[in-house]
Parts: sequence; structure tokens; C-alpha cells
Amino acid sequence: MTTVRSKSLLAAALCGALAVTGCGSGVGSSSQEQIKLLVFGAPEELAAYRTLIDAYEAARPGERVQLVEASDRKDLLARLATSVAGGAPPDVFLMNYRFYGQFAAKGVVEPLDGRIAASDAVDPADYYPVAMDAFKWHDQQLCLPQNVSSLVVYYNRTLFARYGVPEPKPGWTWNDLVGTATAMTRDGRGLVIKGTEAEGAARLPAVHGLGVEPSIIRLAPLVWSNGGEIVDDPDRPTRLALDSPAAREALKSLVDLRLAYGVVPSDAEVEAEDDESRFLNGRLAMLMTSRRATTNFRTITGFDWDVAPLPVYQRPVGVLHSDAYCMTRGSRNKDAAWRFMEYAMSADGQKIIAATGRTVPSHIETSRSPAFLDPNLPPRNSQIFLDAIPTVRALPTVSTWPEIEDLSYGILENAMHRGDRLDDVIRELDAKSRPVFARGENG
Amino acid sequence: MSEAGLVLDGVSAAYRTETVLHEVDLAVARGELLVVLGPSGAGKSTVLRVAAGLEPVTAGRVRIAGRDVTDQRPGLRNVSMVFQSYALFPHLTVAENIAFGLEVRDTPHRVARERARAAAETVGCAGLLDRRPGQLSGGERQRVALARALVREPDVFLLDEPLSNLDLALRVEMRAELRALHDRLGATMVHVTHDQTEALVLADRIAVLRDGRIEQVGTPEEIWRTPATVFVARFVGSPAMNLLPAGGPLQPAGDPPALPVEAQIGFRPEAVNLDTGHGAPAIVDRIEVVGEDAYVYLTLEGGKPVVARVPTTRRPDRGAAVRVGVRWTDTHVFDATSGRRLAP
Amino acid sequence: MSAGSEAGPRAPGTGAGSPAGPDARSRRQLALMLAPYLAGLVGLVLLPALVTLALAFTHYDLVRPPAWAGFDNFTALVEDPIFRIALTNTVVFAVVAVPLRVLLALGLALLLHRRTPGAGTARAAALLPTAVPEIAYGLLWLWLLNPLYGPINQVLRVGGENGLTALGRTPPQWLTDPTDARAAIILVSLFTMGETFVVLLAARRALPRDVYEMAAIEDATGWDVFRRITLPLMAPVLALLALRDAIASLHFTFVSAFVVTDGGPPPYATTYLSLFVYQTGFEYLRYGYAAAATLVMMVLTLAAVLVQWRLVRRYRRFYPR
Repeated sequence: MTTVRSKSLLAAALCGALAVTGCGSGVGSSSQEQIKLLVFGAPEELAAYRTLIDAYEAARPGERVQLVEASDRKDLLARLATSVAGGAPPDVFLMNYRFYGQFAAKGVVEPLDGRIAASDAVDPADYYPVAMDAFKWHDQQLCLPQNVSSLVVYYNRTLFARYGVPEPKPGWTWNDLVGTATAMTRDGRGLVIKGTEAEGAARLPAVHGLGVEPSIIRLAPLVWSNGGEIVDDPDRPTRLALDSPAAREALKSLVDLRLAYGVVPSDAEVEAEDDESRFLNGRLAMLMTSRRATTNFRTITGFDWDVAPLPVYQRPVGVLHSDAYCMTRGSRNKDAAWRFMEYAMSADGQKIIAATGRTVPSHIETSRSPAFLDPNLPPRNSQIFLDAIPTVRALPTVSTWPEIEDLSYGILENAMHRGDRLDDVIRELDAKSRPVFARGENG
Repeated sequence: MSEAGLVLDGVSAAYRTETVLHEVDLAVARGELLVVLGPSGAGKSTVLRVAAGLEPVTAGRVRIAGRDVTDQRPGLRNVSMVFQSYALFPHLTVAENIAFGLEVRDTPHRVARERARAAAETVGCAGLLDRRPGQLSGGERQRVALARALVREPDVFLLDEPLSNLDLALRVEMRAELRALHDRLGATMVHVTHDQTEALVLADRIAVLRDGRIEQVGTPEEIWRTPATVFVARFVGSPAMNLLPAGGPLQPAGDPPALPVEAQIGFRPEAVNLDTGHGAPAIVDRIEVVGEDAYVYLTLEGGKPVVARVPTTRRPDRGAAVRVGVRWTDTHVFDATSGRRLAP
Repeated sequence: MSAGSEAGPRAPGTGAGSPAGPDARSRRQLALMLAPYLAGLVGLVLLPALVTLALAFTHYDLVRPPAWAGFDNFTALVEDPIFRIALTNTVVFAVVAVPLRVLLALGLALLLHRRTPGAGTARAAALLPTAVPEIAYGLLWLWLLNPLYGPINQVLRVGGENGLTALGRTPPQWLTDPTDARAAIILVSLFTMGETFVVLLAARRALPRDVYEMAAIEDATGWDVFRRITLPLMAPVLALLALRDAIASLHFTFVSAFVVTDGGPPPYATTYLSLFVYQTGFEYLRYGYAAAATLVMMVLTLAAVLVQWRLVRRYRRFYPR
């Protein structure tokens, strides 16, 4: 079977079976003008992109952008892959650097160096280098980072005030975090309670001290801060390597939050109400997550909240969270796509998205402007996102990283909630990740 | 009443809102073969279903072998039923079909099989025991259904048009066998049919049913010779009895009984004499020849029809003018409004 | 089968048609009427299936051209622990859920085939879950199964203290305990047996009434009637439905595993073949590998069908026409 035929057959198959959004409209004449932007996100985030598109279309008459909305990250990956296979990919898509590797490696993404060099609007020096670097594949700039977020601790100030517990301060340590979380884990009467005896026992915590998901991206900054590594070789990783004393200690600290201190909700409690909802409902004192949660938390009216930097283990290190606009190589309208990207990356475009609270702008100037730092919009302390940028590190870029995250999540979840032996956990992470890394390609 | 096998005492029954049996009184003596005869829709099957307990009564009592079973479920009434469709279980062998009633009553398997074989032998289907209903002819199915009915020793056998699905020759044969079987077993049987010949041949007594009411109960001879109503008179006998207004165009010969004003006279086709030379004038419309007999369809002056049965060799020609004679001794007299028998 | 249904399933058209010529014409008309369906079948099902089969022997990531791989994907599957778990999960699900679904449908059909007050409403209620769009149905169950706030566990906790059931046990941890989660997926699948229910309802109603009256006169108990009459008479239909359900079971785990449990609890308690294929194919872009897993799934289905078909045929011998 020849390549061409199998591809066209597959395209037909996918068209029928999946009703891929891109499929079928490729032949339309209107696509000459209109470009497609594929994104996913919560309703507020999608609204932000619509605002951006409206502003763009108003500023540049004649340009038209169609927003293609995926329901979640996995849906976006599937849509992107199938539409590329079907020969009608979106012109631009937004993707996290942790997941773009497989598309970068497979040549789906159009390198932008030439366009950047020729552009009056985009100057790489205007953007945080750590974000720009995360989207370089074999020294080519493939995508343009829209944001540069890092992990922070959101906390419920009203709860802290009620229980008289000091709020987290910059420079606080892991031990401070554990102590604070313990002091904030309370039962229905407001008394300090240890959540470990929870399962079916006398009293369940009404407020948990901390929410943190047992994932590799939450664990990584902890390990780094303790002077360890999560993989054997950050440039050419071949396995998840948490067997160093530093990494092992960090892993133990993470699972102890549940197993020893009981300050994070149990797995059943998380299934019943995820951490973000728990925080929204005032039942979680602190939540470790990225800037993404801000949009959602701005709907909170019942209490006051703010953000604090990640606690320090040995030295301050953050983990990079960044999404970027990528252009597909199969785009039929690359110039129009580029014009949109230029606008989205410009100070105007970045301000529109920043105003929704969703992002820490990758555009340095915008990030220091009131568009991001406006003290009247929570969190008051947005500055700490910027303060963390010099210390953030990116996760390894390897094309099979999504699989690494999925498989490690299951193992780490069992470590934290089922209490699997750490040696077994570390060995399993090592053994299971090896074949996946082996299949991967590095950027 | 201790000698009664089955008694319906003022039984009414309804289908949804429509009453299908109106206060039926019926007593079947032990060992008697009673045939319930009537046209379709008369409620014949309902009589059986009420007796079996498959339909509830809205009024009256049902007694079987002296027990009041009105409120008992079918399984406790100790009756056997043969359905028009035979209701054989298609997935069971003949032996299993016959033994079904015993098996579900926890009769030991071996005993049940032995009795099934005996029952099959009684009705002459012992050679079919390992077959399944799908492999049987209509007559064979009928025998199996009978064997199944008599494998137990029920107080009453209820047979719902068991012969109606057979062709004529087989029906005649099975009719005779059924009568012989009854005589051999001495069982109480209620047999439902719409076929008057079958009823006349089989029955100890016949109950004629019309619109959910009993018209007449009597021996076949009584039903034939002294029909209680116009309905019975016309339903039994083929072609049906001739009916004319008394004092009409045809006056029977002999001494007339005392007649009320509104009366009808009836006489069977075989009572008509076309050879007397006197009587009412009539024209021959058409003639049906059935072997030795010929049925002559006539029209009297004034347009009333009359049928006559004559020997084929002495039939008139079509269109011929004849004289229709009948004698009072062969004539039934009915009240014209109620249809009830007046004389003799 | 039974006397009552003999007249029923005679195919329309078998006896139709006048003697000369029209045989060819009616065949042509038949072909013409079938054409759109056949075109759709070939274009939308068969061709893609064949392409998938071919892709099972390639390395293909949906993006770069497929490269011949021989049996690489299959050897990799054999060594893939996730695939083995998914396979086991799928088989266990089919073995447990299919009989339960058919039994539930049968029970309901026998309960609701009579014309009694409320039976119509009950029938509609039994059908309703099947009519709900799958994703919505999954989301509904996500709420129902919520370990703390879900109505199911709320009810189970009635009469108990401190979050325990009245028997002093922890209520099922639907979404966090592997066994409970598998049970949850089976539970979710049970209520979509509406189609099976409808078919059984029709099959039960087609059974001759007099056979049941016969049984009543012989004083057969409900159990005897079920065991000796209803079950054997409906057995061919039941077998066919079980067969169909077994085939369908390979995919009706998908939405519930995808929406309700996301393949978890960790590591892969409710990762079924369908979800495995979706993840490897569309999330990890290992389309060739996923195609190989699909092929294994198809072979499995075929094997299940053959086994059941043989059983049905053995049973059918009891029903000579």
C-alpha cells in the first residue's frame, strides 16, 4: 500500500468516524481568509480567546479567525493529531510545552525563526527567555509562548485570619508549609484535626490544610529544590530517576502530606470534590497550582485569597508552566496565521489575555504593567509570579512526555493515597518509564 | 348434587366491561359427556375457562365433584384441559409434554414417565414419545394433547374444540375415538364445539348456548325432536329448519293444535312432501344434489322460502311448479315474539 | 420454535412476486434499495476497518507516513503490561456484565410484559437510560457515584455513623478502590440494557398464552413455569442477545471508563481495551500500535462469537422444524 493512498483512505475514515472539526472544510473557498485557532480550556478561558479574536478582527479589518474549542487537553491532542492526519489541520493551536514535543518531533509544527527575523512586531528579546527556550526544538523556535507561569500556593486569607494562623511569607520552607497546613486542617468545630485517621473514623476534616496533586510536575520543583533530579539526564533522559537521596527525600515529603500528616484530602475526598472546587468552596486552606486557577478563583466572593511563593527546600526553584501559539506545517494560510500570532504576542494581545487573569504574560513589559499586576484584582500579590521566573526550570522535552505523566501519575497517586512502599514506587517509576523514554525523541 | 361432576350455579363472567356469560346454570353429572354447542361468540369457551379457573366469575359459584372451587386457582381444581391449539410445549418431547403435569406436581420421575407411557398407549400415540411437537401431524398432536389431559385422573375433562383443527376424515375418526375413550374411562367431560353434527354424535347431553345464555339442555334426541327455541331449532340440523308464519301460505295437513295469534310453524326439510299433489303451490329455485339426497329450494306464493329434502331420483326440475305438503305431526310451533316452543 | 411464533417471523417477500420474470426484477429492486446502505457500510465501516488492519502492521503516528513494522506491534503488545491489564479487564467485564445485563433485562421483561397499571410507565423508565446521550449518562453517574456526596453512598450511609453504613462498613469507594470501580463500571452498564429489554419484552409477548394457561391448570409454580417453559422458549432469543451484548461489551465500557473513572483508579483498574486503544492511538499518537490492539480486540470478538454460536447451534438441535 502506498503512503498516499493509505493516508487518503485514513482521512476518509477519520472524517466519517470522528467528525473531526477540520475535516471537510479544507476545500471551502472561505478558508482563504479565515484561519482556525484550536484551544481548550474552561469557559472563562474560551471567553478570553473570543475577546482576543474580536479585538484582532476589529483592529485588522478583513482578518477572520475561527475558534475551535476542544473539551480538554486530551481532546485537543486527539483533534490535532486526527486533523493533521486528515490533511486539514488548524492553522494555529495553543499547547503546553510538556505536550508539544510529540508534534515538534513529528514535524507538525512550522519553525518560526525566519518569520521572527523578518517581523517588525515580534522581538524575541521582549519575552522571558525561559519560556522562549522551552519551545525550541533542535535550536529552532517552533512556537511563541503566550505565558510564563509557575507553581505557587494559593491560600484562603479569611480562613487564616479566622484560625489565627500566620499567612505564608516569601522564603518559607517546606517545614513551614507542613506546619501551616497542619495548623489549618480543622474539623467542623474549628479544632485542629489530623486527617490521617479519616477513613471511616470518628471525625472528618471540614477544612484541609493543603491541596496538591501527586504528579510528577508537582514533585519536580520539590526534588530540584532539594538538589536532586527527576530524570537520569535532563538533556537526554532515559528513565525517571528518583533513587537519589535528595529525590527520595522530596518524594517522601510529598506523600507524607497525606500519609504522615493527613493535611491533604484523601483520594475519596478528591474524587468527591476536586481540590479547585474545594478551595472555591472554602474548605481548603492552601492549594498548590499554577496561574491557571486564577480566572476561576476570581469568581470567589465569600472570602479573601492571595498567592504565596512555593516553599523552599534547599534553594528556591520553580517549575515552568507555559503555553504557546504554534503554527501547523500543514496550514494553508500561514501568512494570515502569522499575522494573528503577531497580534496575540504583541503587548495589546497579551494584555487582553492577561486581563482575564488566566496568564502570566510572557511579554516582559506587559507582565510588569497594571494589566497583570493590578492590585485591585486578586491575587494582590501577583508580583510573586514574576519573582519566581528567574528560578523556574523546564521539564525535559521528550516526545513521549504525555505518556510519562500519565503513567507516573497512577504510581504516585497510589504512593500518596495507598501508601505503597517508596522503594517500590521508585523502582516502578524507573522500570515503567524506561521503554517510554526509549520510544521518545528529544528536542 | 353429590353425583354432579361439574356445576355452574348462576355463573356470570365478563370480558373487560362486556358480560359474556349471563347467570348460566349447568350441571354435568359424573361420568357424563356434555357438549356445549353454539355459534362463535356465544361464550362456549368462557364456560370452560370459568370452570377451569382461567377466567374469574362476576357472579355465581362453580362446583367440581361437590367442592366449591369458585375461589380456587386453576391448579387446585383438579381439571384437565385440551386446548383448541393443543398448547403443547414445543421444546419438550411428547413424553415430557404428557408427564408435565405430573412432574410439576413432584411425582417421581420414573413414575411420571411410566404413567405418560400408559396415557400415550390409551390414546394410541405410544410410538411418538421421543418426538417433539414440531415433528407431529395435526392428528398426532391432538392425541398427545388428549394423553396429557388424561395422564392425571382429573375430576373433569374440559375440551375446547379439540377437533376443529383436523380435516373432516380425521375429525370423524377422532370423534368416534373420543366417544370410545369417554366410555372406557367413564370420565366427566365437557366438550365445546360449534359443529352440531359433532355434538349430536358425541354427546350424552347437549347444552346449546347463545349470547352467553343457555337456550336448552337436553339429550341429542330432545334437542333434535323438541327444540326449545327457534334458535335451537335452526342451529341444529342442516339445512336449517323451515320457518313460516302460522296461518300463512302453507297449512299443514291433519288436525291443527290450538294456536295463539302470533305463532310460527317450523318443519325440517325432510318433513316436506312434494308428491302429495295438494298443499301450497311453489316454484323450484334451485337444487343441490348430495348423493342420494337432493335439497330443493322453493319459493312459496308470497315469496317465503322453503327447503325440502327428497330422494335424488325423485327430484323436480328447476323452475317446475310443485305443491308443498307437510303434516302437523312433523311441525313445531313457536311463539313468534319470544321464539319459545309452544307445541306440541 | 413455538406454535405462536411460527406465523410471525416469516420474512416478508419470500412468498411474494408473480411467477415470470419479476424474480430478477425484485432482486434488482432489492439491490437498488440496499445500495445506499452498502455504500455507507463499505465506505464508512469496511474500508476504515481494513485500513486499520493494515496499519496494525506499521509504525504510524497519524502524522508521519506509516512505516512497515511486520509483527513488531504485536510482540510489543504481548510485552505491554498495560495492554495485558486492559485485556483482562475487558474479558472480566464481558464475563460479568453481559450475563447480568441480559438477566436484568429478562427479569424486567417478565415483570413488565403484562398489561397492569403502571407497567407502561415502568417500561418507559427501564428504557430511559438507554435514550440518554452517553456522555450525559456518564456525567450523571459521576455524580451518583461520588464517594462522599453521591446519592448512592448517601443512601448506603443511612442508619450508619461516622460515614459508615448501617452494618458498620465503609461504603463502596466507587472511584478510588479498583474492585469497587470495576463494579461501578458494570453497574453503569447495567442500566443501558433497554434495547435488550425491549427485544425480550416482545419475545415474551409473542409466547402463546395457552401454554401458560396449560401450566396454570397443571398448578406449575412460578419457578417451574420460568424454568420449564419461559426460559427454554426464550432461550434462542436470549442466546442471540447475549451474543450481541458480548460484542457490544467491547465498546460500551468506553464512555463510562472515559468519563467516570478515566481508566483509574490507578494504575489501570478500569482501563479497558477500548480506552487503551483510544489513549495509545489518539493521545499518545501510536496509531499503528493502537490498530494492532484493535485487531486483537476484533479477533477476540470473533472468538467469542464463534464459541457462543456453537453453543446456540447445539441448543438449536432441540428445535427441529
